[in-house]
Amino acid sequence: MIIKYFATIRTYTGESDRRVDDPPPTLGPLLEALAARYGRPFRRAVFTGDELNPEIIILVNGRNVLYSGRLAAPLAADDEISIFPMVAGG
Amino acid sequence: MAKVLMIHPDKCTGCRNCELACSFEHEGQFRPSAARVQAFTWEREGISVPMMCQQCDDAACVTVCPTGAMHRSNTMENLVDWDAATCIRCKMCTIACPFGNARYDAASSSIFKCDTCQGAPECVTFCPSGALEFVDDEQHVRARKKAYAAKFKDAFQEVS
Amino acid sequence: MYGWTGTILRIDLTKGKVTREATDIKMAHDYIGARGLGGKIITDELDPATDALSPDNKLIFAPGPFTGTFAPSAGRYEVVTKGPLNNVIAASNSGGAFGPELKYAGYDALIIEGKAAKPTYLWISDDKVEIRDAAAIWGHDTPDTTDLVRAETDEEAKVACIGPAGEHLSVISNIMNEMHRAAGRTGVGAVMGSKNLKAIAVYGTGSVQVADPDRFKAAVMNARKLIQAHPVGGAGLKAYGTDVLVNILNQTGALPTRNFQDGYFPTADKTGGESLAAKQLQRSKGCFSCIISCGRVSKVDNPDYKGFGEGPEYETAWSFGADCGIDDLDAITKANFICNEYGMDTISLGSTIACAMELFEMGVITTKDTDGIQLTFGNAAAMVEMVRKAGKGEGFGAKLAQGSYRLAESYGHPELSMTCKKQEMPAYDPRGVQGIGLNYATGNRGGCHVRGYTIAIEVLQNGAVMDPRVTEGKAGLDILFQNLTAALDSSGACLFSTFGIGGAELAEMLSALTGVEYSLDEFLKIGERIWNQERLWNLKQGYTTADDTLPDRLLNDPIKTGPAKGEVSHLDQMLPEYYSLRGWDEKGVPGKAKLKELALN
Repeated sequence: MIIKYFATIRTYTGESDRRVDDPPPTLGPLLEALAARYGRPFRRAVFTGDELNPEIIILVNGRNVLYSGRLAAPLAADDEISIFPMVAGG
Repeated sequence: MAKVLMIHPDKCTGCRNCELACSFEHEGQFRPSAARVQAFTWEREGISVPMMCQQCDDAACVTVCPTGAMHRSNTMENLVDWDAATCIRCKMCTIACPFGNARYDAASSSIFKCDTCQGAPECVTFCPSGALEFVDDEQHVRARKKAYAAKFKDAFQEVS
Repeated sequence: MYGWTGTILRIDLTKGKVTREATDIKMAHDYIGARGLGGKIITDELDPATDALSPDNKLIFAPGPFTGTFAPSAGRYEVVTKGPLNNVIAASNSGGAFGPELKYAGYDALIIEGKAAKPTYLWISDDKVEIRDAAAIWGHDTPDTTDLVRAETDEEAKVACIGPAGEHLSVISNIMNEMHRAAGRTGVGAVMGSKNLKAIAVYGTGSVQVADPDRFKAAVMNARKLIQAHPVGGAGLKAYGTDVLVNILNQTGALPTRNFQDGYFPTADKTGGESLAAKQLQRSKGCFSCIISCGRVSKVDNPDYKGFGEGPEYETAWSFGADCGIDDLDAITKANFICNEYGMDTISLGSTIACAMELFEMGVITTKDTDGIQLTFGNAAAMVEMVRKAGKGEGFGAKLAQGSYRLAESYGHPELSMTCKKQEMPAYDPRGVQGIGLNYATGNRGGCHVRGYTIAIEVLQNGAVMDPRVTEGKAGLDILFQNLTAALDSSGACLFSTFGIGGAELAEMLSALTGVEYSLDEFLKIGERIWNQERLWNLKQGYTTADDTLPDRLLNDPIKTGPAKGEVSHLDQMLPEYYSLRGWDEKGVPGKAKLKELALN
């Protein structure tokens, strides 16, 4: 699994991406593990309480996790995860 | 402690919200040519700088004023105030100010110069980027000084 | 009058005559200003059969009621005319400070008619209007033009001008103001050039009045708070600019690549806002009254592409980037600077070069056609050289300057022009995002994203979410965005204020400013009126339902790689519902009942 970080998320993680071998089966525990690694700014960006932060955009293989169960979204070992803060332009 | 209207040109985006806020506060309309603050933009360099009266302690405009219309306020600290009633519109103040921060406006027959909105400057409220700050004179440059001090900290941290 | 100034300036360049007219108050109320007001004037005054590059066309510069006030990020104006690219009512939106200056000089609109006998510029200083000789200025790029005109008028004058591209009537040329802001699309620069009008300088000492100052200030403070609290309006756009979109569109699999041959570009990150911030950004910049500051002041040190200016925006980073198979940000930014200097639409030119690259790789054109240049995907130096040639109208550049539709058609391959109604589609692949495809196909000015930016909901989670891959609900979504945007574009507000506020806040500010009560429903209805007005004009130009479509590639050729691999656009599943919800018949013609409801004839 490869996780890619973008925009301000990169400033919280200090890196653009990370390989994860043997990821957990759903998104929630993965984000927990990453939050433990990167600390509070990352945690605050991805979680609001116990829920997924509405201002975070997470794609699994290009599909927004809002359509596959949010924190319960299933993960596979060869997935590509992208994590964005809310961004925009035109 | 007196307050200072501090300018940070490095943060100015050239949006001129300061001019709009100033005009609206003083006249209830949007006439930026009448604003007491003016933000100038140099398009080729992509740099903008706001300018307004700096309430000089030893103000040239006060020195030359024949009637005392330009005077140091005795109700507010750090303010050079203008009294419309005693002003004869000789415009000597506009000639004396080396910064161009006092202006004669024919439309309203007034001398326009920043009066900090009597201690609650609207330009500061409306500036979206922190380029204008109304701050205690004890600390108006502190953040800038400390930012540069931090460069020395980083340099020494590496070698020691 | 409040908000509006009450005066319109009409300038006949053929006769050298200047007339002051009263703004039609009912028209101002019903069409607001800018896009709506300009479109109404074109509809009322212009014979639909007028040749867009003839002296009979009219060129309108119109701010909105908000323009010149401190409504947040609301200092915009529109250039409205019959567009030479595709004969629609071209209404190109721009920021900077030109629009507000028109208001302070006292005008709700400038209507420019006829054609000057020789190169000319206008000097408008409050109610003094001069038509001046521009012989010494014609031929100069837009920054030099701005400086030369200010030297002859006023150092603080705001200048809107064309570069060489508008002078040689490129149908993808633009009008620049304050050197770095553009009224970009549909060839409005060529209309100005066809009138021998090089520049307009304006300086105003007047004011914009407010009907209810306390109510207006409260509404503005509320709107500012909402925008500043929004992650995008408040911080994201200032930090990264619009270019931040490259990665999210790419990771969604909908970043059009190599002339829309694919939807995923592996090295896209090199061209995104993160890279721009790290390598080129000097500082953020804001237009008049803006609190968002999405503008980029950028510098390229690389000696091959050395330059200083503003940009690139997302659309530009895409059009000269992924669309051309290029990941060299220095080259992309240089191309952007050249477009600003010569006065060219970056979306249309980049897409046209991409089209030429495909023709070249197919062998349909060769180095004999391209002045010896290897015009292949990924060749950054070739792309930059072609941008320069197009700006000058030289060699193969003269063909590029006529846009991808005319280019591809001249070589017998119109299907390779990635356009709708002859205007190049922007940086979102309809195969990966269904709703934006419907917006491209039904767009009144052709391929365009801003007038129905469903991306905000389909990809960016701005306030609501809809799955980009489904067609359900997209007709309704498109219509809502198109109507709201038409009203917003007529008010002087910037589209980016919608990262924070919506129609309700805009209607409240407008009511307090003008003294005319606009409910949210009325505000949206005006937008619907403007949209239908533009549609009626297009029908008179001979556009039919057959033109509400996308290139075959997007309907039939699936995306090849990336997260949206295998997807196509399902426009046919959305268009009938779109017509029906709009109150149009199955041929896309507005019904009598709808026209009566909107007070259109």
